[in-house]
Amino acid sequence: MKLWHSFIKELKLSSRGFYFYIELVMAIILLVVVLLVIPAEFVSKDTEYLYFDLPEEMINEYRKDILEEDLDGKAEFIKIKSGKDLFPVEFYETDKKKYYFVEDETAAIQLAETERPLVSAVMSLDDASSIHYKYYLQGYESERLKNLYLVIHNRDLNLLKEEMDNQVVRSLSTGYSELTDRENVLPVLLTFNGSLMGLFIIAAYIFLDKQEGIIKAYAVTASSVWQYLMSKVGIILVTSTLASFIIVIPVMGLQPNYPLMLLLLITSGFFASSLGLVVASFYKNMMQAFSAVYLLMIVMILPNIAYFISSWEPIWIKVIPTYPLIQGFKETILVNGDTSYTLMVSLGFLVVGLLLFLIANKRYKKTLAV
Amino acid sequence: MIEVSNLYHSYNKDGKFAVKDVSFEVKEGEIFGFLGPSGAGKSTTQNILTGLLQLQQGNVIVAGYDVKAISNKMFNKIGMSFEQSNVYSKMSAKENLDFYRKLFDVKTREPEELLELVGLGDKANVRAGEFSKGMKHRLTFARSMINNPLLWFLDEPTTGLDPAIASEIKDIIKAENKKGVTVFLTTHNMYIADDLCDRVAFIVDAEIKLIDSPKNLKLQYGDKLVEIEYIKDGETLKETLSTIQEDDLKHLQDIIGKYEVQTMHTKEATLEEIFIKVTGRGLA
Ligand SMILES: Nc1ncnc2c1ncn2[C@@H]1O[C@H](COP(=O)(O)OP(=O)(O)OP(=O)(O)O)[C@@H](O)[C@H]1O
Ligand SMILES: [Mg+2]
Repeated sequence: MKLWHSFIKELKLSSRGFYFYIELVMAIILLVVVLLVIPAEFVSKDTEYLYFDLPEEMINEYRKDILEEDLDGKAEFIKIKSGKDLFPVEFYETDKKKYYFVEDETAAIQLAETERPLVSAVMSLDDASSIHYKYYLQGYESERLKNLYLVIHNRDLNLLKEEMDNQVVRSLSTGYSELTDRENVLPVLLTFNGSLMGLFIIAAYIFLDKQEGIIKAYAVTASSVWQYLMSKVGIILVTSTLASFIIVIPVMGLQPNYPLMLLLLITSGFFASSLGLVVASFYKNMMQAFSAVYLLMIVMILPNIAYFISSWEPIWIKVIPTYPLIQGFKETILVNGDTSYTLMVSLGFLVVGLLLFLIANKRYKKTLAV
Repeated sequence: MIEVSNLYHSYNKDGKFAVKDVSFEVKEGEIFGFLGPSGAGKSTTQNILTGLLQLQQGNVIVAGYDVKAISNKMFNKIGMSFEQSNVYSKMSAKENLDFYRKLFDVKTREPEELLELVGLGDKANVRAGEFSKGMKHRLTFARSMINNPLLWFLDEPTTGLDPAIASEIKDIIKAENKKGVTVFLTTHNMYIADDLCDRVAFIVDAEIKLIDSPKNLKLQYGDKLVEIEYIKDGETLKETLSTIQEDDLKHLQDIIGKYEVQTMHTKEATLEEIFIKVTGRGLA
């Protein structure tokens, strides 16, 4: 009962303050950014710049092949800008790729450098009338890709195709769906605006109260310090849940597993705000606490990088709590997400959060008069 | 109501004590004054008694509860007014009290009535953030009475208040005490202490120097004094002389015999003068 009254009071107080709205306004801004600025797919179609140093008939063969798949069935003649130069090109677009036929090798080389396409290649005939392929690579292609380029033209293509057809591919799990690039940023936004902002905002609330000496007044009532702290955590959970749904619902509609998402929002919010309480207990005001809070936030942001750059994923990053958090959120919005993973992560945050909360409770009991 | 024995407290646990070997007892129904200069250890003692500071060494029993293992229930019986007012500035006076009363398990007083009592009746719906220092202080004071405390801790209840309001506050304390409330009053204002307290403790440099009633102290330490103003060589002089000490008496007779006396009256030593006499220290 006292906890409830404290919670209502905190709600009243925070709704009159400024921090309460930061998260919600941030959520709306992020939503607008997600919907308007981030395209559904980041990566546009693969691009190939091709120069055919071949007799016209052979080039026409290529043209015919590509035109069959071309979206509007005809070539466009355009100019593309590369540095200071304009190159006239023949442009074809299929639903998977963009092909640019360039007029000479210099264009192919320069475009390879400035536009960084998937492929920039020159095809020519040698004296024995066999076709030569010259690829201009970017330098970061893997050995495997390079080997593939080597092998693909030196083997009988029919043989390769036959080999591939004879390979049995068995799917271990079906119904697996992928997120669009827009949807793919949601787990990160949920992690940061939803759960981690709690760390910062609860610390701000505590420092406001410290400034007013209000904790002492609370301490000499028949109510417990943990209720005081928990009512603040409650506010954080409410705002971060609201903020999260503001972003997720318009983007994802009914697809996510909302009960599961709510569970993870609550447990991770509990963890983050308890951590914020512990941190705030060591300082007198925001100024003093700032470096500690900032450092924590930076560390928490690192798993973000691993999320978007899948090739960078050192072992130690997995112990940073935001790593499983991002993954946990991802599972809640995937169509057939791994529910048990999210449940495990939630349980983890609940346990660690509880531990931190107990520490916070002890700390605040001890430092009341300070 | 309060039993304290051999209480020590060191903030940094470095052997520098803010409270050192303090022992005293407060009986039910009395107003006990804790007097001392700034930094003497008054607030520290009070904070230990109310659980705001952790008990380090010594035994403390408050309202029947051992402070070593403090129970929330204890606070149903206790009221505490803070030296520095601490109210929610974003809530109105009434909202502050409305919320606070819900944190107790006992019957509480009506916020309006309390605000009226401390002269904030017409400010009930004004946010505390807009209050003056004195008004905030009165709100903090009013809040400390909301749970009908049996034991009432008052830390400097009248500092920063204008004399008229200070005297109203004094009357409220007296009235509550008449109803049976035990009061633990911390102050360096000797007039308030003299007026209100049944017994006072003098605390200086973390230690209690003596405990007695103001009346006894005056009997013991306060010689009857005579304040005399006279004209000597065209100059007006003023002296305060004891009526007991030999040479003072002789000097007094001299003055009356030789010079033109303008005014002369007897006066009692103030608590402040006794404090200085006993502790060798002023109160400022
Ligand atoms: N939080 C603290 N940390 C360290 N030392 C402290 C702390 N609070 C008080 N002290 C020191 O303890 C001593 C006693 O302080 P206390 O506040 O009890 O004095 P006081 O008698 O209440 O004075 P005042 O009349 O100014 O309120 C002082 O020397 C003070 O500097
Ligand atoms: Mg004090």
